[in-house]
Parts: sequence; C-alpha cells; structure tokens
Amino acid sequence: MRLAAGVLLRRGFLSLLALFLAAPLIVVLSVSFNATRRMSFPPTEFSLRWYGAFFADHAWMASLERSLTIAGLAALVSVMVALPITYAIWRYQAKAAVFLAGIGAALFLIPGVVAALMLSAFWGVTGHVGRLENVVLSHAIVLLGIPLSLLMVGFRTIDQAQVEAAYTMGARDSDAFRMVVRPAMTPYLLCAFVFVFVLSINEYLIAYMVAGFTVQTLPIKIFASMRQGYEPTMCVAAVIFMVMGFSAFGLMSKVADLPRLMGRTRPLEA
Amino acid sequence: MTTADVAITSQASGTRRIGEPWVLAGLLTAPGLYIIIMAVVPAFLMVQLSLAHREVGGLWSPGFELTQYRQLATPLFARVMGFSLLLAVAGAAICVSLAFPAAYFITRMKRRAQVAWLVFLLGSLSLSEVLIVFAFQVLLSTSGTLAGALSAVGLLAPGASLYPNFPAVLSCLVYLLLPYVILYFYPALSQLDPEVEQAAATMGASRFSTFTSVVLPMMRGQILTGVLLVVIFTFGAYLTPLVLGRPPQWTVAIHISNAAMGAGNVPLAAAYAVAVVVFMVALLALTRLLSRRRGAEA
Repeated sequence: MRLAAGVLLRRGFLSLLALFLAAPLIVVLSVSFNATRRMSFPPTEFSLRWYGAFFADHAWMASLERSLTIAGLAALVSVMVALPITYAIWRYQAKAAVFLAGIGAALFLIPGVVAALMLSAFWGVTGHVGRLENVVLSHAIVLLGIPLSLLMVGFRTIDQAQVEAAYTMGARDSDAFRMVVRPAMTPYLLCAFVFVFVLSINEYLIAYMVAGFTVQTLPIKIFASMRQGYEPTMCVAAVIFMVMGFSAFGLMSKVADLPRLMGRTRPLEA
Repeated sequence: MTTADVAITSQASGTRRIGEPWVLAGLLTAPGLYIIIMAVVPAFLMVQLSLAHREVGGLWSPGFELTQYRQLATPLFARVMGFSLLLAVAGAAICVSLAFPAAYFITRMKRRAQVAWLVFLLGSLSLSEVLIVFAFQVLLSTSGTLAGALSAVGLLAPGASLYPNFPAVLSCLVYLLLPYVILYFYPALSQLDPEVEQAAATMGASRFSTFTSVVLPMMRGQILTGVLLVVIFTFGAYLTPLVLGRPPQWTVAIHISNAAMGAGNVPLAAAYAVAVVVFMVALLALTRLLSRRRGAEA
C-alpha cells in the first residue's frame, strides 16, 4: 500500500515537472498556428498563414541564414580546437594541454555577461568590429568547454589494450589514429558539433554585445521585434528553434549512447 | 583520469617517445594561440579597462585610476548585488530541491525512458533565453491563458497582467535552470551503487528514509556545487529580469550591459564585471572550504 502511494507520488511529481517544462512551448506552438493577428490562447482558428509570411519575409530569412552560418562555423572551430587538446591529454598526458582545457572549462563557468563584455572589449580594441566572424570566434571560445568534456568522455571509452596491440604490431601513431581512434571518436565528434551548434544558434547576449548592431542573428531579431510589440511571425521563429533543438538531440540519441555521454559510466541495460 | 589509467597509458606510449615534443607542438600551437588570444588577452583587457580613464562618447584612454571602483561603493551597486544574490539563492533553493529528486528518479528508470527524458531536457536546455522569455510573456500576458483562468475564478482582477514582477522573474529563471541542474546531478546519481540502497532497504529502512539518510548525505558536495552553478547563472541572467521584471528587479548583468552599451561607460561596466568575478571566485573558495570541512568531519 505504501509502495503504491510512493509510485503515485513519483509519477505525479515527474508529470508536473514535464508539464512545467512543456507548457511555454505548447503555448507558443499553438499560438503560431493561430489565424488572427492578436496573440490569443487557446487559438481560435487553425491556419498556416504566419508560416507562409515568415518564409516569404527577407529579413527573417536573412537572420535565419546568418544564424545557421555562425552556428555551423562556431561548432566547427570549437570542435577543431578541442580535438588536438583532448588527444594530447589522452595520448601524452601533456601538461600544457591540461592547462588549455582548464581555461576552456573556466570560461564556461563565468557568467555570460562577463564573457560578452570581455569579448566585445577585445574586438573593440582590435578595431575589427561588427563582423560575422567576430561572433563565430566568440561563440567557439565560450562554448569550448562542451567539446572538451564530450571528447574527453569519448577518449576514455577507447580500449587501451587495443591501442597497445596496434603498437606492438608495428603501427605508427597515424595508423593507430586511423584504425582505432577515428572510428571510436566519430560519434563523439558529431555530438560535440551538434551540441555547440544548437547552443550557438540560441545564444543572444554575446552575439548582441559583440556585433549586435550589424549582425542580426535570429535571437537578436526576435528580441528586437519583441520590443516593438507582438508579431505572429515571432512565434514561427520560436517554433523553428524548438524543432531544431529537439530533433538535433533526438538524432544524437540515435547516433550515440546518450546516458553515457551525459556522464553515466555504470552500465544500463535496455 | 586515475593514476592507474595514467600508468597504463604511459606504458603504451612508452615505446614511442622520440619526437614527442614536436608532435605536441604541432598539436597544441594553433589551439593554444587561439585560446590565449580569445580568452586570456580579453580577460587582462577587461581588468585594464576597469582601471582606464573614461573619455566622452564611449571612449577611454589607458590609465591607472580607481574612479570606477569607487562607484562600486555606492548604495545602488550594493542594492543591485544584494538583489542578484537574493534572486540567486531563491532560485537555487527551488531548482535544487526540484532537480535532485527528479534526477534521482530519472537515473532509476529503464533505458528508453531515460533517453527520452535526456532528449527532452537537452532540447529545452538549449532553447534560447529569448524564446523562453517570449513564451513566458505570452503565457503571463493579459490575454494569455493563465491570467484568463485566474481572473475567471476571481483570483485576479480582469485585464490585469501577471508580469512584470518578482515571481515572474523567479519562475522563468527556475524554468531556464532546471534542465541544467537535473543534468548536473545526473552523472553522480547514476553512479550511485544500487546495492547501498538495497542494503538500507533490507535493514528495514523505508524508501524515503533511505533517500534522506543514505543518498542525500553522500551527495552533499554535489548539492553545494549545484547551488553554486545556479548562483553563477543567475548573476549572468540578462533577458529574464529585463523583460519580466521592473527596474528594481534588474540583476547586475543588466547594469553591466547598460553601462557598456547604453551609457557608453565601458570602464564602469568592466569594473562591475571584475567585481562579479571576484565575488564568484570568493563564493567558489567558500564552497570548497565548506565541503572539505564537512568531508573531514564525516
């Protein structure tokens, strides 16, 4: 009897939590299908007209394209910087690499506004202001902690005995990399890329403080429209974010062992 | 990495040590330069800026003066820091007490359910603060559902709005942080040996008392760090208090951004930022000290 009550309590708690986390998303999603211009919930009449308006609008499309470009490049830079560092830690226990990884982790822990100010001051001093590449390089450095920790998890899964066997059989470093390291690391590289991509595309404050006046990313555009009042196309932009985020992580769970990626080392049976 | 791991790895690499410095140089030069230029240089620059002399029109000239730091001694800054801390502590209390049991339950689910929860949490964690704030605005606005339902049962005056105010800021912050904190507790709780709990159960402990007397004490350090995580994030929160709060509910992040972008006083913004980082480091040191002392007692 007590057990049943416990189960009920646990289910109730988790359902309420899921509802809390889903509620704002459900509201935005249903408002985006509303036919009227007014923001009203529940929606009165189903329509796709705002989706049509969004994709026909040059300003929205330009922002979307800009955001996708920035996120793709930032993810690429960040993963390419993290890979040699984590490899040097795993293969050579290089102190310099541990030090660099430490800086990456520390940056991830300082409040976002401080990082944004640091980087905007930096670009201001270089005189290279208001450019797309500023946002790319800034996102890549601030989010570096993610590929660093995910790739470290990946390297730890590689069987040392297998690497050793390759060396005993006369393999060079490059052979070992191609035969053992690359296949084992591919899913982790992919996950790190997707993770940085998704966070970069959603980031507002750094993009705004580094180049916000000239490089209008999607979050900056949404926020700018928010200040001018409600516009139904904003909901469509928001839905695009949701779809991208959830499908990216859904895809990731198919490619990689998500519980392990999130730090579970104890085996988990189906 | 444990010492045993390191020993094994050194053994494996022991045979091919020739040319290792060159390999390392090749591997680390480019990433090292990037990190130094984009992280270390900006950090020093910010400290230098905070001591610089402010010129009109958003400009500054190098100098060594404490003008901006004197402004930190004003009641305004003390009030802003005090409010940020209050918000952070309230947020941390709510987040941790919800996230800890949630993470505990999730780690004990079957794989499929666990993966589904992880995808859901990662998906909502990655959503832009802009988007969440916007969604809360829709949810809490006069024409929104919540206000409508509350005024229908007479709890709210018709036409009244549920924001901007403190509860709106707090609940949105909790929303933003909850996935982070649950995922932060996830690895530690999934590593917890189920046998420990089974042992407690065979000795007659109820599930609830096992949780409070076995699981919670084991996780004390993790919980303290989780609280710190929320505090750091809250100090950096910008959009939530800006949109869902009134000026008295503005956090230090808004004042930093306003000083830099609005008033064009970059040295003042830098001084604020340096003060926040110093405060964070002090908090981190305090947390370390606390968890170590607790550890020594146990």
